[in-house]
Amino acid sequence: MLHFLEYWAARLALLGVDLLPPAAASRWAAALGSLWWTADRPRCRVAISNILRAGVAGDRRQARAIGRGAARHMGMVLVESMKSELVLDDPERLRVDIPDDVAAVLEDPDRGLIVVSGHLGNWEIAGQWLSRYKPVAGISRPMNNPRVQELALSRRQRRRFRMIPKYDPDPGRFLKLLGDGEILALLIDQHARRGIDAPFFGHPAKTHTTAAMLHLVARTPLTLLVCRRTAPMTFELSLSPLIEQPRSGDRDADVQAIVRTLNAHLEAAIRRAPDQYLWGHRRWR
Amino acid sequence: MDVEGASEILSRLRDVLRDSAVEEHDWDAVVGETPIESLGFDSLTILDVLYDVEEEFGIALDPKQVVKTRTVGEIIALLEQNGA
Repeated sequence: MLHFLEYWAARLALLGVDLLPPAAASRWAAALGSLWWTADRPRCRVAISNILRAGVAGDRRQARAIGRGAARHMGMVLVESMKSELVLDDPERLRVDIPDDVAAVLEDPDRGLIVVSGHLGNWEIAGQWLSRYKPVAGISRPMNNPRVQELALSRRQRRRFRMIPKYDPDPGRFLKLLGDGEILALLIDQHARRGIDAPFFGHPAKTHTTAAMLHLVARTPLTLLVCRRTAPMTFELSLSPLIEQPRSGDRDADVQAIVRTLNAHLEAAIRRAPDQYLWGHRRWR
Repeated sequence: MDVEGASEILSRLRDVLRDSAVEEHDWDAVVGETPIESLGFDSLTILDVLYDVEEEFGIALDPKQVVKTRTVGEIIALLEQNGA
């Protein structure tokens, strides 16, 4: 029943997005996000708890304000992703900062790249922008609601961006993609059951190791990307310089070093825009 | 392929698989003809194994070559080509 309701709520949201001009659609989606914040009390409590634990709010009132802002932001992410051509085709709306070492990899068709991000800013636009350089495979786990998943996949503007499952039965799938010079994109900021503990806002959080292992095994360059909203339908997209971790022979130590670096980069980016982060996820369990 | 050398590599490879793999498996039953896909690795678990194999043999494998292998024997041949 919940899945049914979620599906029709998503359909309703998309209808508004389709019928309204971008600015109005964005306000519509932000209002839906705000409504969701009011209605989903359990998720709201998780978000407030996470914001306080992360230390990005001084008190509960401030945490609530950040949480509500983040809920509105997630609604806007939906609209921006659907209307991404307006952003991607307008340099005034997308300011990009690419370090030279990352640019060299992006412009070399034979070199793969591992791009890591989190549920911060608009990661969908970031993925679509990346696909201008090379095909992008976004590693993801399926949504809990298969009907919403199907709807989302059918509506995203794709360019050369596609989603692939995290646990692929073909063991060589990720290595082959990187060997073919493609980009593998991963969001690393959700609880990883099979991950390792690494500090995130000063608290140990189970963190995915896939990006780190791919860097170590495929010897493929690794970077962290953030696409932060600076004004309605306007973004600042930045990539970190390549993160290099030489192999020491101690797999766990190498992975830990990379994961700590990635978490630190992501944490710093979240601190710059806490109201653009998905706080409703139970990151610390 | 040097049969004795291949046999020693297979033995060391079994030990790495035994230590690295998450899933239970009868590693002593693994032979050259064993298909890699039957070992139960997925796109994530294979990464741990490859790291450990490279460390065990002190070599760096080309991922493009690794993904072409279909059997344990082909992995052994690749290891030999790389000086294992």
